[in-house]
Amino acid sequence: MPTPPAGVSEADFQTALRELESVVGRDWLFKSDEDVALYKDSYSPLWGEAEERVASAAVAPNSVEQIQGIVKIANQRGLPLYPISTGRNLTYGGSAPPYSGSVVVDLKRMNRILDVSERDKTCLVEPGVSYFDMYRHLRTNKIRLWIDTADPGWGSLMGNALDRGGGYTGGDHRDHFDAHCGMEVVLPTGELVRTGMGANPKAKTWQLFKYGMGPWVDGIFSQSSFGIVTKMGFWLMEEPEAALQVTVSVPKRRDVVPLVDTLHSLLSSHTIPSQTNVASPIMNGAADPNLVKLRSSGGTASDADWDRYAATQNRPFWTAAFIYYGPPKVIAAQWEHTKDRLAGIAGVQFGETASYTFPLSDEQADAVPDKPRLGIPSLNLFSSRDAPGATPLEGHLDFSPMIAPRGEELIALSDVTGKVYADMGVTPPFVAGQMFHPRTMICFHAVPTFRNATDNRRTRALFETLVRSCADRGWPIYRIHAAFQPLGMQMFGFNNGALHRLHETLKDAVDPNGIVSVGRYDIWPKRLRRPRA
Amino acid sequence: MRRRSMNDQTRRIAALLALAAGVAPLTAARAQDAPFPIAAWSRTTASIEDRGQPAERGAAVFNNWCNACHSRNPMNAPGTTSLQNKYQGGVPAALEDRKDLTIEFVKFYVRDGVAMMPRFRKTEVSDADLDAVAAYLTRR
Repeated sequence: MPTPPAGVSEADFQTALRELESVVGRDWLFKSDEDVALYKDSYSPLWGEAEERVASAAVAPNSVEQIQGIVKIANQRGLPLYPISTGRNLTYGGSAPPYSGSVVVDLKRMNRILDVSERDKTCLVEPGVSYFDMYRHLRTNKIRLWIDTADPGWGSLMGNALDRGGGYTGGDHRDHFDAHCGMEVVLPTGELVRTGMGANPKAKTWQLFKYGMGPWVDGIFSQSSFGIVTKMGFWLMEEPEAALQVTVSVPKRRDVVPLVDTLHSLLSSHTIPSQTNVASPIMNGAADPNLVKLRSSGGTASDADWDRYAATQNRPFWTAAFIYYGPPKVIAAQWEHTKDRLAGIAGVQFGETASYTFPLSDEQADAVPDKPRLGIPSLNLFSSRDAPGATPLEGHLDFSPMIAPRGEELIALSDVTGKVYADMGVTPPFVAGQMFHPRTMICFHAVPTFRNATDNRRTRALFETLVRSCADRGWPIYRIHAAFQPLGMQMFGFNNGALHRLHETLKDAVDPNGIVSVGRYDIWPKRLRRPRA
Repeated sequence: MRRRSMNDQTRRIAALLALAAGVAPLTAARAQDAPFPIAAWSRTTASIEDRGQPAERGAAVFNNWCNACHSRNPMNAPGTTSLQNKYQGGVPAALEDRKDLTIEFVKFYVRDGVAMMPRFRKTEVSDADLDAVAAYLTRR
């Protein structure tokens, strides 16, 4: 039997469950231990420990009206709710609530694609629509529009955008929150609002113009707990005539400075239209004691030390990868201009990885190796046992510091994080700067999680040290696993936590009973707020 | 042992992210193995619960939920690659080619997950869909 959330009596909890069942029907209320366990975070860094975040029950509505009914019951019974869209925000908490005892509101059944306009290049979707769902819809109906898919692609367009995820294609599409246009939200009071132009019921521009009239409130529904988003519009990318996937490689460690400066300039001018990835084939090489020593040096290894090592490896020090979209003649001119701008770096090499003309046949689409760059969802990122006899991976956390797009920063970050890993006896992972957003790089590290407390304790200590060490250097992260959201918010503590206090002031105003997404991004209702230092 | 285990995990995550990040050389397109997944994806987000005979329904559930990892085409199937590396030819790597699966085995892994494969909820794969896909994968 499920345990009621703290502060809710067993009798009230049972009454609430009966009431929830009357809203959604018997099949869609989950209260047995076996069913509720399906909502565990499969990659939890607290797996099996007392602190692991677990739900008390789950309810799966199929309409806005049912959500409003659930919210009404929650307000009456003081029941904490945790809405999920597809529940695939793995590495950030998955389908498990940040506050144990919450009732998960599973929106996967609300998976309707409400509108796709090929003419306007927009769509309007419900929470349960995954990238795979939308891709199949566009392909089946021969609609010449692309989604910008997160990688892996099993997540929700809406859920990923609301957690501010990113993708790989053209400029204003790959920042997924930025690519949204208009929302419908059930507020914690049960009231239904539409944002932007959607507040005018006759407006034909809900998915075309973001702002409407008055303060633009959409931002408060991202990484937050201020409502249950039920519809969301997105801008889609018109399928280009062609694409050319390329690489640029440079031989020496310090070459990353002019490389990144030039790439940033080309991105700003839209000469390069896509996510641009700068990684080091040298630093990401196979485990080698000489490499580990350099990676662990904390910055004491000089450029000359690194370049001597690189000379033994017969690989470039840095490789940038990106893709052009558009008419072939335009792509050729953009690529030519890119090469001209980078020609001053001694030893620079240019490579063409793949070229495409669209539309692709099913066979051609299936054969694309790097699918997300063409808006094709994939699970190819998951390779849990990549060698014969290897122990499979069980899960991981994403550590994702953001840096300014400068080569010096990428080098400094690899030195700082390399030392953190070395001090904890772990081989430092690769470093890459990925320009999902136009003016920053995200430097993802995957920190493994396990199904045992001993290894997870080390993982948590490593993760926290990485977060703090990088924030100290001016590299806070952009998104964080539910178990670490209080730590994440601490890194944004200007003026003694004024931003966090503002979040909680808003919480009190829009959710007076404190029922929606309790604890998400460390936003707590009054009754659960811990004393501040 | 634990330290080595964590390093091992870290290296392999690094390798897979490096591949995703376009660092490693991209493998050339491999020969296609039928059936072809995208063609089989031709459904909207409407429920598949009421579709067709059990075998047809099981195939539809497999294509919708399993194929992106467990396709016969190893290029689109990290699950197939993982099972190839686990069994090294002792059993076929593609689930649809296995002759040794049982209904209980299929249901356990869908609801419990394994390694990087997460649990699948009943709002994703309903009990009826799970019956159908288990029947499909255990057909002889």
